[in-house]
Amino acid sequence: MGSYLEFKQINKYFPGVHALSDFSLKADSGIVYAIVGENGAGKSTLLKILNGDYLPDSGEFFIDGVQQKFTKPSEAISAGVSVIYQERQIILEMTVAENVFLGDWPCNKAGKVDYERMNKETEEIAKSFGLDIAPDVKVKSLSIALQQMVEVMKAVNRNSKIIAFDEPTASLSGKEIEILFKIIRKLQAEQKVIFYVSHRMDEISQIAQKVVVLKDGKFVAMRDQENVTDDELIRLMVGRPLGSVFQEIQSEREIGEVVLEVKNLTTHSVKDISFSLRRGEILGFAGLVGSGRTEIMQALFGLDHILSGEIIYDGQRYIPSTPTHAIEVGIAMVPEDRKTQGIMPNISVRGNITISILRKLLNKFKSIDVQREEIIAQENIQKLSIKTPDSDKLIAQLSGGNQQKVILARWLVTHPKVLILDEPTKGIDVGAKAEFYRIISECAKNNIAVIVISSELPEVIGLCDRIIVIRNGSISGEVNQTSATEENILKYAMIDLQETK
Amino acid sequence: MVLSTWKNKIKKSDFADKISLIIALIVLVAFFSFFNKNYFSSRNFINILVACSLMGFVAIGETKLIIANLIDLSAGSVAAFATVFSAILVRAGVNPYLSLLLAIGSGCFVGLLNAMLINYLKLQPFIATLAMMSIARGAAYIICGGRAVPIANATFISFGTYRLFRVLPLPVILLILTFLVGGYILKNTFFGRSVYALGGNSYAARLSGLNPEMITLKLYLLSGGLAGFAGALLAARMNSGQPTAAVGLEFDAITAAVLGGAAFTGGVGTILGTFIGMLILQGFNTGLIMLNVQIFWQNVAQGSLLIVALAFDYLRKKERNKKLLTDSMKSING
Repeated sequence: MGSYLEFKQINKYFPGVHALSDFSLKADSGIVYAIVGENGAGKSTLLKILNGDYLPDSGEFFIDGVQQKFTKPSEAISAGVSVIYQERQIILEMTVAENVFLGDWPCNKAGKVDYERMNKETEEIAKSFGLDIAPDVKVKSLSIALQQMVEVMKAVNRNSKIIAFDEPTASLSGKEIEILFKIIRKLQAEQKVIFYVSHRMDEISQIAQKVVVLKDGKFVAMRDQENVTDDELIRLMVGRPLGSVFQEIQSEREIGEVVLEVKNLTTHSVKDISFSLRRGEILGFAGLVGSGRTEIMQALFGLDHILSGEIIYDGQRYIPSTPTHAIEVGIAMVPEDRKTQGIMPNISVRGNITISILRKLLNKFKSIDVQREEIIAQENIQKLSIKTPDSDKLIAQLSGGNQQKVILARWLVTHPKVLILDEPTKGIDVGAKAEFYRIISECAKNNIAVIVISSELPEVIGLCDRIIVIRNGSISGEVNQTSATEENILKYAMIDLQETK
Repeated sequence: MVLSTWKNKIKKSDFADKISLIIALIVLVAFFSFFNKNYFSSRNFINILVACSLMGFVAIGETKLIIANLIDLSAGSVAAFATVFSAILVRAGVNPYLSLLLAIGSGCFVGLLNAMLINYLKLQPFIATLAMMSIARGAAYIICGGRAVPIANATFISFGTYRLFRVLPLPVILLILTFLVGGYILKNTFFGRSVYALGGNSYAARLSGLNPEMITLKLYLLSGGLAGFAGALLAARMNSGQPTAAVGLEFDAITAAVLGGAAFTGGVGTILGTFIGMLILQGFNTGLIMLNVQIFWQNVAQGSLLIVALAFDYLRKKERNKKLLTDSMKSING
C-alpha cells in the first residue's frame, strides 16, 4: 500500500529566470530519490513547490492520484508533505516537544496545552530513532545535529507520506550522518516517498536508490544509483565541461612583483598566517567553511582586529584600520554572502555600483555628478555584460549572477591593486560562472593581484596559480596549480598532518 | 528624438514617480473645495502650510531616518522641551536669536544622546528614542515646574508671526526652504547617498568604505536640531513655552513620510514625497475641520488615510511584479 507522487509538466518563472521548465517525475514510496544538479538547477524551487511555498505557473502534481494545489505550506503539511531544510525551521526558544508538535499542539477541552501527552509522544519518537533527547529541554541547548533530528521528528509526528531533505548533512559530522541515515532507512522501510537533495556523491551512493539529475530547471535523467558513476552524473549536471574555460584563461599571463606580503598575521580567529601575493597572480584560498579563510581577508580589509604580525603592502608597512582605509590604499573585497553583505536591494544598479566611489564623484558644489555616475555605470554594465534594461533598475530584480557582477563592478571602479573575492560564484549558474572566470582572469591580466576564496575545488584548481589551504585558522599547506588535485587539497583541509606524523 | 529624450526625462523625474500622490492631493483639494468654497483660497492654503510647519520640520528628519532604517520617537518631546527652554531663555533676557540657536542646540544634544545609545550601547533605535522621548518630555516639565512660560519679547514672537509682504508667514518660508535644502542634500550629496546606502544594506555600506556610526550620528543631530527649531518657532507662535505641546508630533511626521513613500524596510523614500504626504495629511485635517466634522474623527481619518495609501501602494507593487514576471516569461520563451 505505497503512496506515490507525480509531477506533470511543472513550470515556474522568476524575473529573468525559468526556474523549472516542463518538469515531470513520478516517485514511488519506499525509495530514496537523490536529487542532484548545479546551484540554480531548480532543486530548491522544486522543494518549495512541494511544500506549498511557491505555486507553479503551470503544470500539475498529484499525491496518490489526487491533484494538489498548495497555496500555502499548511496545506502541504495536511496533505502529508514535509520538507526538511538546511536552515532549520525550528524555534530555538521552545522545547523539543513544542517544536515537534509545532503549530499542532494537543489541547484539552479547556484549551490548555496538554504537555504530558506531548512530552510522552515526543519521547516515543525519539526512542524509535534511537536518540537520547529529553522532550522538555529547549532546542537551543541541543547540538546542530540534534536540532536537525528534531526537524525529522516533526515530520514523523505529522505522519508525513512524503519527506524531502534539503542538504541535510551540510552541518553534520560523520557519526551524526550515520544516525540520520539510519533514520532515513527506517522511514524508507515505512514506505515513505523520500527525496534527498545533496551535493555529496559519496552520501548519495550510500543512501539513494535512484538519482534524478536537474539542469537549468529541466529534468535531465533518472538513473539507478547502482548503475551510474560519479563522472557520468557530473557530466549530466554540468552539461559542458568547464575545463576548456580554465585552459583558455590560463594562457599568457605575466606575474609581476610582490604587492602584498603578510607575515605571521594573528587575530582572534587565525594564527601565524604568512603568504605573499604578486601582481597579475591569482591566489586561491581553500579550506572548509569556518576554517578561517574569510577571517584572514577581513583582517586585511580592516574588519578584524590584528593581534600580531606584519603586513607589507606596496613596499610599505600597512596596518588596516577600517574598510575606508583599505579602499583608499587599493584593496577591494567582494564579500561572501551576496544577499546580506553585498547588494542594497532597494537601490538601483547604478547606485549599487557607485557606492564605493561616491567621494570621487563630487563636483565643485559638493554634490554628486549624476552624469559622470551614469557614464561609469553604463561602462561597467557593458564591460561585465550585466543583463539589465537600464541602470535605474533595482538590483533586487536582477538574477543572482547579474547581481554578483554588479557587486564586482562596485569594486572594479575603485581601481584596486588587490582584489579579494570571497566565494565569487556561490549560487550562480554554470554559464555565469564561466563568464566570471573570464572576468577574474582579465583582472589578473590587467596587473591586479587577485585572491579567490572558494569552497568549490574544481574552481580553485582551474583558476588559481597557487592554492593556500587553511585548516583551523592556520595554513596547513600550499599547492601549485600543476600539482593541485582535489585529493591533496582535501587532505590538507581536513586531516591534521602534524598528528599523523 | 528630442521629444523622446524629453519624454524620458519627465518619465524619470521625481514628479512622475509621485504621480499617484499628486493626483490624490488634487482630488482631495477638489473634494473639499466642492463642499466649502472657502477651502480653495490662497488664505486657506497658507493656513494649511502654517499648520504643517511644526510637523514638516520633524518630517524631514524622520524621512531621512526612515530611509536609513532608523527612527526618532523623541522628536515631539524635543520640540516641547524647546518651546519651554527658549521661553525661559527669552524671559531671562537672553538675546532672542541666541535663544533660538540654543533651542536648536538642545535638540541636537538629545540627538547626540540618541546616536550614542544606538552606536555604543547598540540599543534598537526604537527603544533608544522611546527612552529619550520620555526623558525629554520629563525635562520639559521639570525646567518650568509644569507651568507654561509666557513670552513677551517682540523679536522672538516675530519668528512665528512675521509675514513677508504681509502675506507669507516666516515659518512657512523657513519650512519650504528647509524642504528644498533637505531634498537637495538627500538627492545630490555624498551624505544623502550614504543615508540610502545605510538603509539599503548597512553591512554593504560599511564594506564600501562608509561609516555607519557617523551617518547615524549626523542623522540624529539633524533630526533633533530640526525638532528643536520647530519647537522654538512654535513657542514664538504661541507666545509661550508649553511642556504639553507637540504630543504625538513624531507620529504625524512619520505618517507624512510613509504616505510619501518612505518604506520601513529602509533604502526607499524622498523628501518630495514627504512634502506631498504632509500636504495631503494636513489638507485632509483642515478640510474636515472646515466641514465641521467632529475633531475626534480626524484621528480616525488620519489612520484610515494611511491604510488606504499603503494598500494602494501594495496593489500597485503587486501589479508591477506581475508585469515584470510576464515580461520575463515572454523574453525567455519568445
